[in-house]
Amino acid sequence: MTLSVNKGLSGFARLPGSGRKGATLLGRPNLFTSYERESRIFTSTTQKVVAAVIIVVLFLMPFELPVINQIPIIRFLGDGPYLRPVSTTLVYIVAALGLNLLLGVAGQVSIGHAFFMGAGAYAAAFLGGEATSTVYGHGLPIWIWLPGAGVTAAAIGVLIAPVAVRLRGLYLAIVTLGLVFLGIHMGNMDWGRKFAGDPGLGRDFPSLELALWKGQDPIISTADDGRWLWFDVTKAEKIYLVLLCITLFMVVLAKNIIRSRTGRALQAIRDRDVAAEVMGIPEFKYKVIAFALSSFFAGIGGALLASLVGKLPAIEWDLFLSVEFVAILLIGGLGTISGTVLGAIFVVLGPRLIEEVTKWLESQTEATGPVATVADLIVTDGANDFGPVSTATQSPGWPMSIFSWNVVIYGLLIVVFLIFEPLGLYGIWLNIKSYFKRWPFSY
Amino acid sequence: MKTMRWLSLLLALMMVAAACGGDDDSGTGTDTGTDTETSASGDGGTDSTEAATDDTGDAAGGTTELLTDFGVTDDEIRIGYNAAVTGIFAATVVPIIEATEVYWEWVNDNGGIAGRQVVPVILDNEYDVPKHLENHEIFSGEGPESVVMIGQSSGSPHTAATAQLLVDDDMAAIPLTWYSGWADPEFGANVFEVQATYCVESHNGVSYLAENFGNKIAIISFPGEYGQDGAQGAKLAAEKLGLEIVYDGEGAVVPGSDQTPVITEIVNSGADFVWATINPTTLSEIMGGAVAQGFTGMWSGNAPTYFYELLNSDLAETLDQYYIHSTYVNLWNTTDTPGMTELVEEMRAYRPDAQVSDNYLFGWINGMIVKQILDQAVANGDMTRAGVTQAAREITVDLGGLAPDQTWGGEPNDYIVRETYLYDVDLSKYTPDATVSDDEGGTGFTLIEGPLASDLAQEFDFTGPCFVAE
Repeated sequence: MTLSVNKGLSGFARLPGSGRKGATLLGRPNLFTSYERESRIFTSTTQKVVAAVIIVVLFLMPFELPVINQIPIIRFLGDGPYLRPVSTTLVYIVAALGLNLLLGVAGQVSIGHAFFMGAGAYAAAFLGGEATSTVYGHGLPIWIWLPGAGVTAAAIGVLIAPVAVRLRGLYLAIVTLGLVFLGIHMGNMDWGRKFAGDPGLGRDFPSLELALWKGQDPIISTADDGRWLWFDVTKAEKIYLVLLCITLFMVVLAKNIIRSRTGRALQAIRDRDVAAEVMGIPEFKYKVIAFALSSFFAGIGGALLASLVGKLPAIEWDLFLSVEFVAILLIGGLGTISGTVLGAIFVVLGPRLIEEVTKWLESQTEATGPVATVADLIVTDGANDFGPVSTATQSPGWPMSIFSWNVVIYGLLIVVFLIFEPLGLYGIWLNIKSYFKRWPFSY
Repeated sequence: MKTMRWLSLLLALMMVAAACGGDDDSGTGTDTGTDTETSASGDGGTDSTEAATDDTGDAAGGTTELLTDFGVTDDEIRIGYNAAVTGIFAATVVPIIEATEVYWEWVNDNGGIAGRQVVPVILDNEYDVPKHLENHEIFSGEGPESVVMIGQSSGSPHTAATAQLLVDDDMAAIPLTWYSGWADPEFGANVFEVQATYCVESHNGVSYLAENFGNKIAIISFPGEYGQDGAQGAKLAAEKLGLEIVYDGEGAVVPGSDQTPVITEIVNSGADFVWATINPTTLSEIMGGAVAQGFTGMWSGNAPTYFYELLNSDLAETLDQYYIHSTYVNLWNTTDTPGMTELVEEMRAYRPDAQVSDNYLFGWINGMIVKQILDQAVANGDMTRAGVTQAAREITVDLGGLAPDQTWGGEPNDYIVRETYLYDVDLSKYTPDATVSDDEGGTGFTLIEGPLASDLAQEFDFTGPCFVAE
């Protein structure tokens, strides 16, 4: 796998007006004169700058800093109550990158992602968790249990791949579906409980602390508040920052896999497996690799999710979780890293934002002004009022409670997205980009 | 495509607007009780006195001279409800929350608590553990939705995931789950379990059935914490009473799978009665099957096994004849205790069109418990999170006869609830689609006995949950 393509080029014709080999023409950012240049992570300076700014903002988001605190949305995403969903989003991104490699890049349908996540989580708990009278655990540090989670899941992926390689499309989907039920069942069996804990309550997972060896004081502790560099950081902020570093690393890793030889082979198999084989790409080998890579990411994601939550029963690694990841890819846009990230943000934070909007509408009924009038028409908050949204919690019926509306709106948004923009959020992003590129001649 | 862009822009604007709205709230919500420092603290409870407006903690009964930290201002007291109002248990949780809301509306209309209005802050946990934790973060924070205590924490794994956080944040929570381990202080020191556990409930139920129907018992249950805790309780009881266990189906009922083997075992066992720790769907399947094959023993089980809406099915006659329902509280309009009279009256006043439901009892009782804890905290002059948690350990909650009195002081053996209620399923008392305003509206029950604490339950020595995963 090529981790860096930034090496000297030769054999490409010099372009008039360019001082460097294989450079792009000024004002023609989409004209690439070498393959290596086209396959760079960032193909233009603008992209580099934007990425750098986003990364800096993400790192500084939790802190009360003058400029960053003025950016809409970012302003409250960094606040206490939102930091946890944002951290969850990061974990989802890691796991979704795995499914993207399998489903988006290699074209292999899987709804067994939750199984591999669970495998990773219990590997992490076995290696890094604390042993009790009822569960195993070795209390090893994170630099063992996190990679261990990925490797264990990948190994299970390799074991399952030969079966999966024989199947395609819906058949493969159903086989992977079986894994999810198998996994939950194993977790509830007597020996499985040694890993997974009580079927109803679950077990404790290791926390995101970096220590050299078990029993030693952590170098990076996330157990309490502290001070890092120039900032006072709370427990939640520490966890967020640790997850951000891990996620960024995994994003770069996934990106590099996609643009490497392996990634290209997987894409060839996705586009037409017979053609790929004819071109000399060993289909079996690469399908196994796809499963292994995907499970590796899933395992890491599962371990991080379990660690973030702290305690989970085996039943949580269920079909719904798998479907969420398929939804992330379809909503975000199959096969792309940015799509995966956007999809994860939509699936995890979307319902929270909808909640904020409905809550805000509710609060507006007590205020005055133009919004209040509209809100009053929508919200029912008494016996003699009307409107489709009820502030009282009540059984399904009309008017519906805010909680039911949140679910309905979220479902509708997914349907609307997929109908109007089959490329997903990534497609919308492309449209926005091209709008500005063509400005003022956009149509 | 153009419309799509406008839609996204509109959505973005709404989100921004929502953010502004949230900020306005925090401006008004935190200005009185707290003197917030810029650095947010994860365990704010420890330095609560710093943030207090007044230190006159001995002003018992005073309306404004109260020690407060989060969730209590000069005019409101916020209580958090981390409730599964959507998701698989929504049908149960929604009416519970509905009754709790009515309870607070009623309390507020009568002057509130210490001159303050009680604001229930309800967040949906979607019966999802990560979401439950996110909500907990909001409740335990310092923002406009921070609360002084958690009035309801839905679900066992969910509550378990927050048990340690509750201790860290010095917050009390009332769980909506009857896991048998909550009473163990090691497990959930700040989880204030209400009503009897599955294990104790099984002791009472099996004692009653053995007295009245014979000494051959069949036990069936789900695998896991709920099912096996109930089954273990039944086995312990059978052993102490010298009953013959003719079929041990602990963990044998797996929801969604074929129940024929279980049905065959029950029919062939010749049991006098069956004790089940399952759910209504599997009950109707297994009981329907067994009775159809000529089984004539009695049936009973832990509370979640039966639900009155089963009387809408063609099994209604069978249930009327053979089923005895065990539960932790009075059921809708079946007694004339003062608590019941109050509940029925206020539900009629505030939600005259609501459908009759036994789940209102749980919501109403929850309201009573929280109110009495808060009253005690007010009397102590300490409405901080730690103060409210302390108040919970000091009181005996009087539930007006709706359920056994509840207390949490001392050793678990001193305070675990040992009383349950037994109801006969009575088709003549069932009116489908009745509203709370119907005088005759009922859920099909006649009280047999309750509160009932069998000798076994009274002798029961609590050392932990009866079922521990090994």
